[in-house]
Amino acid sequence: MTGSNNETGEASAIDSLIENEAEIIRLIQKDVSMLRDNGNGNDIHRIINEDKILKGEFEHILQRFHDNCKREDGQLLEEDEEDLFDKDEHMTKSEEKREFQSEAQQEEVIPPENFSHVAGEIYRSSFPRVENFQFLQTRLKLKSILVLIPEEYPAENKEFLEKSGIKLYQVGMSGNKEPFVNIPSDLLTKALEIVLNPDHQPVLIHCNRGKHRTGCLIGCIRKLQNWSLTMIFDEYRRFAFPKARALDQQFIEMYDDKEIITLANKKNWLPIQW
Amino acid sequence: MSLAGVNDDNYSNKSNLCENTPFDEDVDEEEDNIYINEETELGREHVLIAHGPQRRIVPPLNFCPVERHLYRSGQPSPVNFPFLLNLNLRTIIWLANEEPQDSLLEFCDIHNIRLEFAAINPDGGEDDNPWDGLTEHSIINALQTIVNQDNYPLLVCCGMGRHRTGTVIGCLRRIMGWNLASVSEEYRRFTGSRGGRILVELLIEAFDTNLVKIDSSKAPSWLLTALE
Repeated sequence: MTGSNNETGEASAIDSLIENEAEIIRLIQKDVSMLRDNGNGNDIHRIINEDKILKGEFEHILQRFHDNCKREDGQLLEEDEEDLFDKDEHMTKSEEKREFQSEAQQEEVIPPENFSHVAGEIYRSSFPRVENFQFLQTRLKLKSILVLIPEEYPAENKEFLEKSGIKLYQVGMSGNKEPFVNIPSDLLTKALEIVLNPDHQPVLIHCNRGKHRTGCLIGCIRKLQNWSLTMIFDEYRRFAFPKARALDQQFIEMYDDKEIITLANKKNWLPIQW
Repeated sequence: MSLAGVNDDNYSNKSNLCENTPFDEDVDEEEDNIYINEETELGREHVLIAHGPQRRIVPPLNFCPVERHLYRSGQPSPVNFPFLLNLNLRTIIWLANEEPQDSLLEFCDIHNIRLEFAAINPDGGEDDNPWDGLTEHSIINALQTIVNQDNYPLLVCCGMGRHRTGTVIGCLRRIMGWNLASVSEEYRRFTGSRGGRILVELLIEAFDTNLVKIDSSKAPSWLLTALE
């Protein structure tokens, strides 16, 4: 029901953007002199980027588009932005922290946001930044990290893993976004196979915010521990707060754990040790 | 889903009910019996029980592992007991003046779990208010139990597993050298829709970690790692 609302909301917003963009193209085409100046009239985005006034106008329209979207369908867009791993944001925040840290050599450790113990030697968190590396290495003594984003792992994190001998496993998922993007079950099975293997532990599971994709995987671990679904959802919401997604909960409930149970039983990984 | 073939039967029953009129009541009853007794050839062939119903265990409210073999939660009720048995608890720290439910007392008694009372306000007696915070004295008492491996596996709990439990776990994180922002984030994760209490956070921030005496021969390994 909400899906259909979102769909129409999104569609009309996109329509208005297309209309606006078409208007800009008309403006550019009217002003032929500008096309000549730039030499290449085909690349509309380059023209917009190179012309300050035009860029400003375009951004203004985009801004309006986003405002519209937020009003009609705010949650959806906001969530997606949040979930997406932003390399630049990661870099700048880490840079800031690096400077800050070298100035004030503190003895405090900083666990990553949304960090928690899950069971045995399995941990969860959001994307670890430079300031968290010490915690991961000296406190958790990690053997491996399982990352659930499809994007490339940032260089500084890779460097840290190499230095501290932590192995990286990547199972890229794009998250349960509305309307129809789903985490396929076999990806989850693959991820569980990595996490449950004692040879990989202590292991840290993380995505970007440690809310949705990580939450789904932890939910499936809880299923293997035979938790009641209600309490699995409760835990999921605690970590996803304030952005819990009904679709993720659906996914946890519908995940078919037959395959992983068969495999885990064969390898003697069950029951999961506390 | 575990009963192959039964779904079909249910379906037929339902359709019978739909068409149910006083007129053909007798016929219905007869048909019902057929399904219930499964005395038809069809029944014998198709009603197979693939596996028993799955038994699901229910962790207590706000349950979460804190460190290896250290857990936190709200007050466990009988529905949580099978889950608690899985944890093989040796000790439960109960952070309130009043006694927990009788069922919990009984459960601890039967399974040899030591139930430790960390009185919130020793002078308050029965006048304990659930919104009263913990005194420094009771926090230290609880932490003194937590830093001793002999008491593990260990569960720390209070009525809802929010503020009192959060205070003690927060102070433990301070001992472990966590920065305050992370401590606060963890505390607020468990406080529900009403959010955290500034007083609790002030208490955690001001807590003098030197007041807890740690015997390194008895401390859990993760604590030793933190103190290195």
